[in-house]
Amino acid sequence: MGITRRQFLRWSGASAVGAVVFNGCRIPEEELQVESPVDLPEDLVTGIDNWYATICRQDQESCGIIVRVVEGRAKKVEGNPDYPINRGKHNARSEAGLQSLYHPDRITEPLFREGSSGEFTPISWAEAHGKIADSLRNLPDKNRFLLVTQPLRGHMALLASEFVKSYGGKHMAFETLEQVTLRRAIKDVFGQDRLPDFDIEHSKYLLSFGADFLSTWLSPVKYSRGYGELRQGAGKRGVHVQVDSRFSMTAANADEWVPVKPGGEGVLAMSMMHVIIREGLGDRVAANALTGGNGYMALDAFRPNNSEVRDATGVDASRIEGLAHAFADPANQPSLAIGGGSAGAHTSGLFNLRAIYSLNLLVNNVSQPGGIFFNPAPPLEELDSREVLDMGVPASFRDWKEMDRPQVLMVRGVNPVHGLPPDANFTTAVENADFVVSFSSFMDETAAMANLIMPEHTYLEDWGDDVPDPGPRYQTLGLQQPVVRPFYPGTGSFGDEMLALGKELGLNINDSLGLSGNDSPTFQDLLKKGAEKLWMENRGSVKAATFDGFWNGILQRGGWWDTESTDKTSPAAPSILSMAWPNIAFQGPTGDDTYNLIPFLSNSIADGNLAHLPWLQAAPDPVTSMVWHTWVEINTKTAEEKGIRVGDMMEITSPNGTVKAPAYVHPAVPPWTVSMPIGQGHTTFGRYAEGVGVNTLSILAPITDVDTNALAWAATRVRIRNTGEHIDIPRFEGNVPAFEAEEGRIIKIASPR
Amino acid sequence: MVNERVNHKWGMVVDIDRCTGCQACVVACQAENNIPLNTEAIFRQRRAIEWIHVERYWEGEFPDVKARFIPILCQHCENAPCEPVCPVYATYHNNQGMNVQVYNRCVGTRYCANNCSYQVRFFNYWEPVWPETLKNQLNPDVTVRSRGIMEKCSFDIQRLRKAEHVIEGQRGERITDENLREGNFLPACVQACPTTTLVFGDFNDPESQVSQMKEEHFVEGGRGYKLLEDLGTEPNVIYLKKVDIHAKTGVETHA
Ligand code: SF4
Ligand code: SF4
Repeated sequence: MGITRRQFLRWSGASAVGAVVFNGCRIPEEELQVESPVDLPEDLVTGIDNWYATICRQDQESCGIIVRVVEGRAKKVEGNPDYPINRGKHNARSEAGLQSLYHPDRITEPLFREGSSGEFTPISWAEAHGKIADSLRNLPDKNRFLLVTQPLRGHMALLASEFVKSYGGKHMAFETLEQVTLRRAIKDVFGQDRLPDFDIEHSKYLLSFGADFLSTWLSPVKYSRGYGELRQGAGKRGVHVQVDSRFSMTAANADEWVPVKPGGEGVLAMSMMHVIIREGLGDRVAANALTGGNGYMALDAFRPNNSEVRDATGVDASRIEGLAHAFADPANQPSLAIGGGSAGAHTSGLFNLRAIYSLNLLVNNVSQPGGIFFNPAPPLEELDSREVLDMGVPASFRDWKEMDRPQVLMVRGVNPVHGLPPDANFTTAVENADFVVSFSSFMDETAAMANLIMPEHTYLEDWGDDVPDPGPRYQTLGLQQPVVRPFYPGTGSFGDEMLALGKELGLNINDSLGLSGNDSPTFQDLLKKGAEKLWMENRGSVKAATFDGFWNGILQRGGWWDTESTDKTSPAAPSILSMAWPNIAFQGPTGDDTYNLIPFLSNSIADGNLAHLPWLQAAPDPVTSMVWHTWVEINTKTAEEKGIRVGDMMEITSPNGTVKAPAYVHPAVPPWTVSMPIGQGHTTFGRYAEGVGVNTLSILAPITDVDTNALAWAATRVRIRNTGEHIDIPRFEGNVPAFEAEEGRIIKIASPR
Repeated sequence: MVNERVNHKWGMVVDIDRCTGCQACVVACQAENNIPLNTEAIFRQRRAIEWIHVERYWEGEFPDVKARFIPILCQHCENAPCEPVCPVYATYHNNQGMNVQVYNRCVGTRYCANNCSYQVRFFNYWEPVWPETLKNQLNPDVTVRSRGIMEKCSFDIQRLRKAEHVIEGQRGERITDENLREGNFLPACVQACPTTTLVFGDFNDPESQVSQMKEEHFVEGGRGYKLLEDLGTEPNVIYLKKVDIHAKTGVETHA
C-alpha cells in the first residue's frame, strides 16, 4: 500500500502536548545545532520529518498551510493542497512565518512598567494576568474599555464579542488602508454582507479597477492561482484589463493597462455603462433596474464624448467605447468586473465601486462560471450573529477619529500607532489611557507605548480557526493548530487569556460559550465545542463515527468544509444607481512640482506588519526590484525634465508633513502621479525593521469618502523636491548583470492563438 | 538507497505567460536552501544570492508601456559552460540531467560564474551568519555554504534524494508527477508558485507533464523556446513564450 500525502500530515488532537512529536529539547540552548556538516549533496541521508496542517496568519487571506517539522523545529511552509482557498499554493508572505517564530527580537515574557515611560521589567504571566484583571475590575465606567484587534473571524470573533457584551466597552477592528468602502459597495450592489467569490479562473475578460489582486488585494493566492488558469488553462486564453491610477504589479501583468486619472474610476465605469445600455449590448432587465427605467439617457452626463468625462478619467471616448464593447462582447463572455484598492480610496470611493460592480449586472454574471458567486453564512449558527460578524468589519477612519477615549485599552495583533495617519489621533488616545495592554510578540510602536505587554504565541504555536472572507463559495472552517511547542515558555495564548479574564471577572461568558462545567477552559476547548457541533451535523469533508475521529480528521486536513453548502438565496434585484456626478476632491498642494500621491501595500511586507521579517524585506518589489526601503516612483520623462535620477533623495510634502525617500524612476508612472509603498519607517519593531525607510502613512491627508467616512488614502496631493542628496538604493537590479543587449533572446513573445 | 537508480532526466518548464513576478518562488527557495540573509548592505554590494530570481524588462513609454517578468534559475545545461572550466571538478553533470555543485570541492576560483551565460551562480563573499534563534529554521538536509564557495540552484536535489528513498526505495514505485506532488518532493519554488508558472518533472518519462508540454510546444508556431538557444548549451529548463494580444499574428517581436 502506498503512503498517501495525507498520512504525512500528522495530527495532534489526541495528545495533550500539542502537535509536537519530537520535542525532546525544551529550550533552544540545549539544542543540537541543526546545520548539517559540509557533505556531498549526492550522499545525503535525510532525517525524519512530519508535516502538520494549520492556517497562515500573516495576512487576512489566511491560507491553509502545511508545515514541515523536524526534531521539534519548524522548517518549511507550503500550501495545503486540500484547503479550498489556496489549494496547495501560497505566497512569499506565508513562507516567512517561520522567521516570525524564530525571530531574534521576540518578546519572550510579559513586561510591565508603572506609567507609560520608564523601563519595562519582566513579570510572570500570572502576575500580568492579575494586573489586567485589576485594571478591568477597577474601571468605574466599563464602557471606557476598548479592545483593538485585526478583523476577527471564527471563534475568536465569538469570544471577543461575548467578552465585550458581558463586560462592556467596545471592540474596533483595525485594517490599514481599510476595505470599508468595498464592503459597503458589495452590500449596495448585491445585497451581500459577505465578500463574494470572484471566479477569475473561468473568466474570459477580466476588468479590474485598482484592485491589486495578484499581490495584496483580498485573496491574492487564490486569485493568482485562478489567474494562471485564466492565462493558460483550458479553453481560450482570458484577457485581463487593468484600469489603475498606478502601474501596480497587477497592472504590470495585464494585457492592457488603462492609466485612469485618480478618482475617475467610477466615472469611467458609468461611461462604459452608458455605451453598453445605449447600444443595447447588456442585460435589459438590469439596465432598466439600474437606470430606473430611463435607459442610457439617465446616464447622459457620463457619455464618453462629454469633455468632463475625459477630464475626470483621462481616457478618451474611443477607448471607453472600446472597453465597453469588449466587456459586453458575447465572444468575451463570461466577463467580470472587480474593483478596490485605490479605486475605492477617494472621496468618490463608494460611487466608484458601486458603478464598477454594477457592470457585472449588465453582463449577468452572478452565479455564472467566470463571474461572481455569493458566499454562504458561516458553518455554525453562533458564528453568524450580527455581533460576531461585526468583529470582522474594520472601523472607518472617522470611527477612529471620533472614538470615545478609552481608559483601559487592549491591543492585539495590530499596530495602529504606526498604521493610522496622525489625524486619527490614535496615539493621543493611547497616551491618555490609564492602562494599555499589548499582546504583541514584538516591541512595535503600539507595544512600546503600553503599560503591560503580554506576548502572544506566534500562530505556529497556537490554536485558532478561521472562516475565510471571501470564502470559496461553500462553508469552510479552517483550523489552526500549534505545529511546534511554544519556543519561549513565557509567551501565552490570547484566547486562553480572554477566557481566564472572563472567569476572573465573573462574567458569564463560559456559560454563553457553552463551556460551563469546565473550570479553566482554554481556547482549544472552545474550538472543540464548535467542532463537536459540526461533527454532529455529519456532513462535509470529514465525517467520523466518534468525535475524536472527527477532531483528528479536521486537524489532519487543516479544517472542515462542505462543498454542498453553497449560498442558496437568490440575489436581490438591482437597485437604481445614483446618477449624480461624483465629488472627486483632493487635499494638498497644486501647481508646479505637485502630484497625486498613490500609496500602495507592499507585495512583501504588506502594510508593514511583516516589516520585521528579513526574507520579506529582501524580496524585491516586482516592478522596481527595490528592497529594504521606501522609495518614490517618478515617471521617466518627468524625471528627465526635472533632472531627477534614480537614488536622488526627494522630499515629499503633503499638508500633513514631509518624508524623505529616494527616487525610483520608471516609464510606467503616470506623469501626474507619484507613488510610494507603505509599511516602513518603524522606530521600533526589531532589528530588521527599525530605521528602514519612512512611514508613508504619516503624510496622508485626513480626507475621507463622502459616503462611508473611510480614509480616501489615494486622495492626497504632494509636492516633491530634490534635496540634492543622492544614495545608492538597495535593489535587486544590477545584482546580476541583465541580459539587456540580448533581451529578445530572453523574453520571447507570441501572439494569441 | 543509492544502489540501483532509475534513470531520470529532471527538468523544468517555465510558462512566462503565467508568471506575475510575485516572488513566491524566490522566498520559497531561500527558505528551503539555507540561503544567507540578503541584507541591505549585501544588495548595495550587488552580492545578493537568489538561486531563482525574477527579472523585469521594460518595453515602450508611457502610456504604451509594458513590464515583462521572467523567472531565471540554473538551466541545468547538458553542455554546461560552467563545468569544463572548474579546475577541481566541483561542478559536474550527473546522470539525471542535473548540474551539481560539490561544495567541499569548490575552491572559489569563480571561473564557473564567469563562464555561465545565465548569471545564476552566486559566490559567498562572506561567511553566512544567522542570529542564534533563526538557525532553528535551517533545513537539516541542506549544507550551509561557507565563505569562498560558489552556490546555485540544485533543483532541490535533497528533495529528489528523499523521493528516491521513499518512493523508489521503500515503496518500490517509479517517481511520477503525482507522487512527487503528493509527497512534498517537488522543488520548493515549483510547489510555491501560485500561478503554476513552474512545472517540474522527468523528461525521461513520456507521461510526465514536462514531456507532454515539451511535445506540445516545441512545434512550428508553438510557444516553446530555450534561453540563449544559439549558444548550444542545451538547457534542461525550457520556457514558453509570453502571449501578447497586441503582437502581430505569427510575428515574433523582440522584447
Ligand atoms: S529548484 Fe530548488 S534550488 Fe532551484 S530555484 Fe527552485 S527552489 Fe531554488
Ligand atoms: S512564484 Fe511563479 S508567478 Fe511568482 S514570480 Fe515565481 S514563477 Fe513567477
